[in-house]
Amino acid sequence: MRYYIGAEARLRRTIEDTAMSVFTAWSYEEVITPSVDYYDLFEQGMGQKEAQRGFRFTDNDGRLLALRPDVTSSVARMAATLLAERSRPLRFCYAAPVFRQQPQSHAEWRRENTQLGCELIGVNGHDADLEVLRLATEILARLELQAGYCITINNVEIFNGVAAQLNLPPAAREQLRRLIDTRETAELQRFLATYTDSDARAFLHPTQLTGTREVIRAARNVITNNRSVAALDSLEKLWDAIESLGLAEHFEIDLSDVSSLDYYTGLSLRVFVRGAGTSIGRGGRYDGLTGNFGRAEPAVGFVLNLDALTEVLARRNVNA
Amino acid sequence: MITIAIAKGRMQDEALALLARAGVRLDEDARNSRRLAITDASGKYRFIFVKPADVPVYVEHGIADCGVVGRDVLLESQADLLLPLDLQIARCRIVVAAVDAEIMTRSLGMLRVATKYSQIAGAHFGARGIPVEIIQLSGSVELAPALGLADLIVDLVETGRTLRENGLTVVEEIAESTGRLVVNRASYQLKAEAVTELVQALEAAMNGGQEA
Repeated sequence: MRYYIGAEARLRRTIEDTAMSVFTAWSYEEVITPSVDYYDLFEQGMGQKEAQRGFRFTDNDGRLLALRPDVTSSVARMAATLLAERSRPLRFCYAAPVFRQQPQSHAEWRRENTQLGCELIGVNGHDADLEVLRLATEILARLELQAGYCITINNVEIFNGVAAQLNLPPAAREQLRRLIDTRETAELQRFLATYTDSDARAFLHPTQLTGTREVIRAARNVITNNRSVAALDSLEKLWDAIESLGLAEHFEIDLSDVSSLDYYTGLSLRVFVRGAGTSIGRGGRYDGLTGNFGRAEPAVGFVLNLDALTEVLARRNVNA
Repeated sequence: MITIAIAKGRMQDEALALLARAGVRLDEDARNSRRLAITDASGKYRFIFVKPADVPVYVEHGIADCGVVGRDVLLESQADLLLPLDLQIARCRIVVAAVDAEIMTRSLGMLRVATKYSQIAGAHFGARGIPVEIIQLSGSVELAPALGLADLIVDLVETGRTLRENGLTVVEEIAESTGRLVVNRASYQLKAEAVTELVQALEAAMNGGQEA
């Protein structure tokens, strides 16, 4: 629960307008989705674990509704149904509040956050991935944050390929994922002690999975399974493009970003800004999502947290 | 400059000793002062000293970039942090203890568990479907069974002496706890160089310690 008054409200509005004008300049059309929808929609869109954090209630007929915990689910369903006949690619953007329940002790506990987001639906591959990454950098540059932000990129198929090779049961796979995500070196090495011949060796030193091109090179030395190798190829190609655009100083490869494996199917990204204690944006490729609504097609997008951006920029104005 | 939050108490002495071996030194005056925020000799690190349970809070919010705190506190807080190093200091165990070790198998009713660690205790018994009523205390947990407040306790044990002197025996061990280096996710990306330097220095100090 947060009020914005006067100068703060103006600043917030300016940030929103800046982001939306960049989206518009890149031919992204604004979309406004319902704030309340059937809970089913979000469970299909986000997966049960995430959707359960939404606020749920029933209508007079006992049907389960939710305050939208994300916008992407609605956009994906809209693309698969309402806009099934429209020619691809589809480009959509939005500035909309989403509602989630979080334990209060956590840094990201606010129940309401406004997402500035975009979705690019119907194009696969590296050009589409690059397009959304460039969009993100352009917005952050227009907000004059260029001196202090970092976008980490990964391809979740690198982990998925390794996990498939180990043939882990779901609980053990989740444990491996968690240990990499939190970079628990000692526990991870204990976990992997029985898998020393496998591609999982790539994750033995979780503090060395973040960096630039050398991270991919090091992973290539150990990883042999086709699925992970293809993902490494794709990530390296993306990195080449980022370098050739002169944007490398703003990016880092982070092979240990495995926080949302069930959702993303290729590229995953997180945005960090100096002055914010948590990531202020995330996104990636979710080719599996529209399939849940009857029409599988590639899709990629990201969201930035407007409230977190406002806080960072407001504090900067005070200090300046 | 990076800010390191250190859990006060036993962890503080062992952590500062390890940091000193890693080349991060606080002069004697600063260590003995009652100031809660002090900067090291090189000016690269600022230390803040807070209650153990507050370390994950400061680090998750990014007020501190790193922290040193026991695994028991981390398990209890469920904070979203990076845990790159097991510092192997302040080693202890989180255990279930009782006056009568057989109470767990004999009692089929609701057991009462007194603890400072309600999350850990709840998860431990919950995972195995043992119905318990958890009584949250903030200290001197060993008293609870003797006075009839609880059947069991879940608490931290170092040598076991406090347990013995209060007539308690260990029923089972839930987890081992040691001091951990925790890192804020954003600091890990935005202050990568400084954080990596600290991690590597601590790693070297720990390995050196083993050889000696």
